[in-house]
Amino acid sequence: MVYYLILCRSLTYAQRTASVLERAGIAARVLRSPKSVAGEGCGYAVKVSERRLAEALVLLNRVGLKHKGVYIAQTDGSFREVGL
Amino acid sequence: MIYLDAAATTLQKPQSVARASAWAISHMASPGRGGHRPAMLAADTVFACREEAAGLFHAPEPDHVVFTMNATHALNIAIKTLVRPGDTVLISGYEHNAVTRPLAAIPDVRVKVADGALFDPRDMLRRFEEELDSDVSCVICGHVSNVFGYVLPVQEIGELCARRRTPFILDASQSAGTLPVHMDRLGADFIAMPGHKGLYGPQGTGILLCAREARTLLEGGTGSLSLLQQMPGFLPDRLEAGTHNVTGIAGLLEGLRFVRRRGEGAILAHERQLTAYCVHLLEGIGGVTVYAAPRLFCQAGVLSFRLEGMDCEEVGARLGEQGIAVRAGLHCAPTAHRTAGTLDTGTVRASFSAFNTAADAEALAAAVRRLARS
Repeated sequence: MVYYLILCRSLTYAQRTASVLERAGIAARVLRSPKSVAGEGCGYAVKVSERRLAEALVLLNRVGLKHKGVYIAQTDGSFREVGL
Repeated sequence: MIYLDAAATTLQKPQSVARASAWAISHMASPGRGGHRPAMLAADTVFACREEAAGLFHAPEPDHVVFTMNATHALNIAIKTLVRPGDTVLISGYEHNAVTRPLAAIPDVRVKVADGALFDPRDMLRRFEEELDSDVSCVICGHVSNVFGYVLPVQEIGELCARRRTPFILDASQSAGTLPVHMDRLGADFIAMPGHKGLYGPQGTGILLCAREARTLLEGGTGSLSLLQQMPGFLPDRLEAGTHNVTGIAGLLEGLRFVRRRGEGAILAHERQLTAYCVHLLEGIGGVTVYAAPRLFCQAGVLSFRLEGMDCEEVGARLGEQGIAVRAGLHCAPTAHRTAGTLDTGTVRASFSAFNTAADAEALAAAVRRLARS
């Protein structure tokens, strides 16, 4: 299944992000950022489905929660940044 | 044991506090240090505690809630962020050593004391207005005196600081969990509090509410931005180096939930009722001097007293022998005793929590009566 990772600057920020999405009925799970996309080292991301990504990003923008990037999980297990 | 030392630590806690801490010690790992279930369970618990605290204290976001090991740790971060060598700092005349010792450790700091009369908030505000001049770079004030239970006019002091554009640190050690501590209304730059007193958490927990950036007191791993050799610039990571006290925070979460369920106002009303009753009983004993505000209008659940002709430490020890736990001496607050005129004698302090009853106050009064007759 295609899914997206919304990269966050910290664990707490990822938890806030997931909390906002969950409250809006969008399934969101906090997990460790893959090393290949973590950039400055250890980080956390929020996993959302392809179907709810656009809605999630609109909502996060509305409440002022910024992210460090959005990545799509590819079939070979790698991640590619999505231009927004 | 009749425990009347809640101003030091609330000994009786909601049962859920011990249960949560015990569960955490065998099920939770380091938050932010892994994606496995024990690490994420810990992360969820720590975040839930941040959210609960942010809600109770009206912090804009849970990120502004920083976990510390106690209020002293939190005050050290706040003070060492805002006070530089050579600065002039204005404090109330009722501060604890948790404020005055960190100030004494910073070279060449001049400390001005607004030494308003005990249980006279208007006099206290007047003294702050007199002393808060352009030389003052920071104001530090306790919400409630740990010795006398005196509730200081911190809302007005915060407004005065805002008008004069002076940073303000609030020590909510004796008020968090009973009096309203509204980060958004008080206008404080930092608010420090312990987890183990009115929030009913375990010892080793504390909170610093941050309305501004802070200097680090400790540096180390945060589970974020690991390639950088400087601490992250964002909260709470910037101030939370090293593994959290997860077992303590799990218990603190239950303590915060207890306070929210019961209500700060209801807890304060209960403690004040017991204090008023205790004052009434003690005032009826010959040779006892009780320090109490008229009708307790500016006093929380703490009272001090002295017994004529007997050293306060002896009173404390003899009450302890009778199974009554109080605290005697200077209560780590010589500034408060100096302001109130009790520095030479010290006092005996009784302090109440949500779990005390009128029978506890009656037992204390009966024991003091026996001492007075001996």
